[in-house]
This record gives sequence, structure tokens and C-alpha cells, in this order.
Amino acid sequence: MTDHDDLDNVPQAIAVPKKRKRFSVVWIIPVVAVLVALGIWVQRIMSEGPTITIIFKEATGIEAGKTFVRYKDVHIGLVKTMKLSEDFTKVVVTAKIDKSAKGLIVEDTKFWIEQPRASLSGISGIGTLLSGNYIGLEPGKSKRERRDFAGLEVPPAITFDQPGRRFVLQTNSLGSIGSGAPLYYRQLNVGQVIGYDLAEDGGSIKIEVFVRAPYDKYVTDQTRFWHASGIDVSLGAEGFSVRTQSVLSMLIGGIAFETFISAAEVKPAAEKAVFTLYNDRKAAMAHPETIVTPYVLYPDESLRGLLVGAPVTYLGLPVGEVTAVGLEYKPETEDIRPRVDFVIYLRRLLSHLKDPSSAEEITSSKKERHAFIQGLVNRGFRAQLRSGSLLTGQLYVALDIFPNAAKVKIDWTKTPQELPVVPSGLQDIQNKVNNILAKIEKMPIDAIGEDLRTLLARLDGLLKRAEGEILPDVKKTLEDLQRVLKSTDATLVGKDAQAQQDLREALQEISRAAKAISGLIDYLERNPDALIRGKTQEKSR
Amino acid sequence: MSTGAMTGIKLGLVSCEDCGLLTRPADVHEPGYCPRCGEELVLRRHNAIQRTWALIIAAAVCYIPANLMPVMITNTVTSVEVDTIISGTVLLYMTGSWHLALIVLIASVMIPLAKLAALAYLLVAVQRRSSGDRYDRARLYRLVKFVGRWSMLDVFVITFTVALIQLKPLMSIKPGAGVLFFAAVVVLTMIAAETFDPRLIWDSNSKEDKNDGP
Repeated sequence: MTDHDDLDNVPQAIAVPKKRKRFSVVWIIPVVAVLVALGIWVQRIMSEGPTITIIFKEATGIEAGKTFVRYKDVHIGLVKTMKLSEDFTKVVVTAKIDKSAKGLIVEDTKFWIEQPRASLSGISGIGTLLSGNYIGLEPGKSKRERRDFAGLEVPPAITFDQPGRRFVLQTNSLGSIGSGAPLYYRQLNVGQVIGYDLAEDGGSIKIEVFVRAPYDKYVTDQTRFWHASGIDVSLGAEGFSVRTQSVLSMLIGGIAFETFISAAEVKPAAEKAVFTLYNDRKAAMAHPETIVTPYVLYPDESLRGLLVGAPVTYLGLPVGEVTAVGLEYKPETEDIRPRVDFVIYLRRLLSHLKDPSSAEEITSSKKERHAFIQGLVNRGFRAQLRSGSLLTGQLYVALDIFPNAAKVKIDWTKTPQELPVVPSGLQDIQNKVNNILAKIEKMPIDAIGEDLRTLLARLDGLLKRAEGEILPDVKKTLEDLQRVLKSTDATLVGKDAQAQQDLREALQEISRAAKAISGLIDYLERNPDALIRGKTQEKSR
Repeated sequence: MSTGAMTGIKLGLVSCEDCGLLTRPADVHEPGYCPRCGEELVLRRHNAIQRTWALIIAAAVCYIPANLMPVMITNTVTSVEVDTIISGTVLLYMTGSWHLALIVLIASVMIPLAKLAALAYLLVAVQRRSSGDRYDRARLYRLVKFVGRWSMLDVFVITFTVALIQLKPLMSIKPGAGVLFFAAVVVLTMIAAETFDPRLIWDSNSKEDKNDGP
């Protein structure tokens, strides 16, 4: 600090006139800050998507602020909060969806929790083992927006953009079919079960199935669906049969379908068309019979081994099946008799014909049909219970021609008509034996006995004559023969017989000749030139 | 120090802020330039109050997004975690390290706020020409200036974490927009503290002495 006196020495500043700024430029800084902050805020507001609530039964692996909502593996939202519902039974999850994905959130959008799942039909959601569970969604087709949803427990099997059609199958029992069970067409996997539910009245089960394009065009109004679950082992009159689709369907069940080929015109089935689901292929394919004629039999024998569904054969070919087996009380005779109801599928009978159209008139008119069957019956057309397999003792109804059957007139006024029966099995055998006995009875045994006696008398006479006339001659002949043999013995066989001696000499001759030849061969072997030059002197050897 | 202390203004003298040369101003309102180094002479810093206010307001504006927006985005294989300063503090507290939470809370939330409040208080006091607690206000100003250089800790931590933790497929950390605003708050408050002219604290409440900004 200098003294006051020295203040005069303080230099004078340079004066430069300058215009004063009323306002400092520094105010730009807060303005910019406000603008930036406002900009960010506005951008946030603008990009704000909808907030939705989803109600799940359980929120497995869902965390507020961490779990994403994903569609096709793209993050489109984030779970904001999760809390229990008021009655503590469900979980209410709120999620904020990006504005860009707003269009996905419509009325029929489905949400589910994607998590690792292992089932027999496959393992899914492996990725979530690392990434954590997330909420998956399947956008709907509706245009109306919605903000509260109920989450699915399992992901829908079919995605929204997969081409194909859905159908509804009606059945009494679900069997082993579950969501995701495969659908087979000619044993090719063409779709799957996407869900099932009880019908409103609780009387049946509705199974929703999805058939992928292009296979969905094979589903027509004549298509039959049946359970292809597990192994279908049946032990019937036709023997032991095993039917399976694939190993997968054996384990998790499945549905197969086929279109009934004989169906005249087939139209593709509409989306969500309802079909009946049959228990097996046979039932499914047997059903579309257009002409089903019921008949009844009253066989006078045991029905043991005859089951409903047993085949009815004509000349060994299946033409129908047994529909009921029971008893019937007949008031007139106060008698209970066995009764068998069966049906004949005329079309199936005709399908065995080489040219089904040739029998067109039989199928077309009822009268013709009756006349045809009456004609058959007149020629001995009868029903018979037969044992299909000795092993199982199952019976089936055989329709056959028994030419010697008595004529029967069918009463066409009654429904169902009664077909005449011929007894079967043991009874059949019994009848045959009876026939034989009757024939035996008819034989002229007395006359045969008479003839036999005269024959024996004649034989006796013959023998007597032989004794008197023929025997001495025979004796003489034998003596002659003995003589001849003795002389032969002397010349040929005896020790000093001439022939014997000659033979011995001849053999000795041959033996000698053989020795000479042997020597010659020996010599030739050593001197092959001897063949040309002749025998040389002993010395030169 | 007493209010009636001798000042350069009272003596009609001004010292150059750059080289410290004591000069006689050309005019009380337009002191002119330093004859030695050519620096513009000011009796009190130009528009100190206005500038400080502007910077404080800017800092206060930035303070809001700094706290609301995420400062750190942690990408792990399983999840993406977005943290704001407050959520980080809460997380620390929830996981049991309350002392760490306290440090973060004080360093990142309280101190910037306190700095803003302190500077605003100093400005208001100067503008109201309050004569009380001048010594305390001077100490407060020194404290604000001192603390300023440490306020970037948060920003440093985040920058280092982001630089170091880049284990791409497994884990990566990205800075959020909040950290920019936080840095802006710190920088703006530091500049504000520099812009403020502590001499104003000591200017007497006498009317004739007013010659700082409007």
C-alpha cells in the first residue's frame, strides 16, 4: 500500500469510448439450456407410447423396469410396475410400449410370458435362459385399440402371419391330445392343435386345429379327422391289428385326417368349419356311407364272441358291421331269443365290384334293391355267425350263398328287415353229421348183404374147382422145374463144372495179357522213341 | 473488516485484473484500459451479477434433466439397467452400503444444489446491499469456489467406468444423456462462481458506490 502522496504517480488509464451493452450475451446460456431441456422433454412426450396392463396368472421371471415386451425379438416395451390384483389371485403388470409399436396393441393382441419350455413336441425359449424371461406378444388383426389384456399361459402355437386355416373338431373325449399336438395328413405333419375347450353346454370338447398352407386345401367338406394318438391296438374278429402314426404322436398324441375318396364333389372347407373327431381311422372312414341298410338276425345260438362293430362279410369281403347284439322277447311264443342288428353299406359292397356303375340301378332305387336281395335270398343267401379267429373266439356275421337252403320270403314291411339265418359252428357240424347218417340210412344194406353172399358162394365154387383140376397140373410143372434147376447146377455152379473151369482159364489168360501190357508200357515210358524206331538192342540201354 | 474501509473506488484508483497495475481510471464509468498490459480495466467485473444469474439459471435448468435422465446404461446379457443418479443412490442404500449412498447423495445431489443456492444467496444479498454477515458470505464464496473443482467426481467415475467396462458380449456400460447435463451443471456453477465478483460483497451499502451492472 502506497502513501497518499504517491498517488499522483499512479499512471492514467487509456480512455477509449465504448458503448455500453445493456444486456449481457451470457443470457444465451440459460436460454440454450432451457431450449435443450425443453426439447428433450417434448421429444419424450412425443415418443411416449401407450401404457398397457396385462393380467397374468403368475409373473414368472418378470421384473419391473427390467423385463421387456418383445415382438419378433425386438424390444418394443418395458415392464414398469407389477402388483397383485385386488383379490391376490393374479398379477397385474403394467408395461410401457414404444410409440413405434403402438399399432401392435389392438383388441385381439395376445400376450404371454416367454420362458424356457420343454415338452415332447420340442424345446422352446432356450434364449430366455440367458436373456431372462420376457413378455411376448402376438398382434391381432383388429383395428380397435385396447389397453388392458389378459395374458396367456402358453404362447399361441400359430403366429399371426403364418398362412393356413383353422378348423374346429368336436369330440367326446380329448384323449392324449394337447396343445401343440401334431396334425397328420398321409402321415405328414401339416399342422397342429392350437387349443381346446369344452363346448358351452359341456357336452363335448372343441379342439381348434391349424393346418398350414398349402396343406389346408386338402381339408374339404368330406374330410374326416380321427385320433392318431398313441398305439391303437385292437383285437377283433379280423385278428390283431396295430396302427400308429409316428413315434411323436405315439407319445404326445395327434390327429390325422383324410378325405373320403369316393365323395363325389369336394369343396374346400371354410375357415373355422366344424368337423367331428372320430376315435380311429376305421370309424372315421366308415361313416360317410350314404346308403346304410339295417338288418336284423335272430340266430338260434350263443352270441358269445360277437361284439358291436364286428364285421359283416359277403363272400368274405367286408360290407357292413354289427351295430347291436342283444336279446328280444317274443310275446307270441313267450320266448327270449338272441337278436343281432347289423348294417350293410351298399356302397362298400359295390366298391368290391370291378365296375360299380354296372350295379347303378340297385343303388338308385329301393325297390330294385329289395328285388335284388330277395333274388339272392331265393338262391340261398343266408347269414351265419362264424368264428373269425380260433385264437380269440370272436364271431362275425358272414353272408353267403347256401344253395340248399329253403326258400324264404323277406318281409319288406318290417324295418329292419330280418335276414334268414343258417346255424353255424357246432350246430353246423352236427347238421352235417346228421346228413351223413341219413344218407347211410338210405343205403340198401340188405341187398348189399345178399349180393355179398352170392359172391362168396361163387368164390367157394371156384376154389373147389381149382383144387380138383388145377392143382395136379401145378404139381407136375413144379417137378419139371426142379429138374431143370438141377441140371443147371451141374453145368454152371458145381466145383468141377465145365463152365467154371473155362472161366478160370480165361481169367488166367487175361491176367497174363495184362502183365505183358504192363511191361510194354514200362518200356515205352523209358524209350518213347521205340514207338517209331522199334525195339533197340539191350546194350544201348 | 469494517464497512468504512478504504477502497480503490473511493480513492479513484483501479487495479488491473491481469497484471495488477494500479491505475487511475479514465472515467468512473469507463475506466479504460491498462496502460501496461492493455487489459480492459474494471472497477467491478462487468455485469457480474447479471452473468452470474444467467449461469445459475442455466445450471438450475440443467439440474433437472441431470437428475431425471439416466446417467449410466448397463447392458448385461440378461438385462439392460438404466440408472439415474437418484436410482443409483437408492440402489446403494438398498444394498446396504448407506455410507456410500450418503457420499453419492452429498456429492452429486446436495452439493450442486447447495452451490446453486449459495450463489443465488450471495447475489441476492449483494443486490439487496445487505451489510450483515459479510465475512460469512466471503467464506461461503471461498467454499463454493473450492468445492467446484471436486464436483466433477461423478462425471469422472462414469467416464472411467464406461471406458473400462466394455466386455462387449457380456457387459457394457454406456453413458446416459443425464451425465452431460450433470457436467453442464458443474461447469456452469464453476463459471458462475468465477464470474461472481467477491468484491461486491464488501461494497458498502452507500448509494453512491453502485457501479456494477444494472
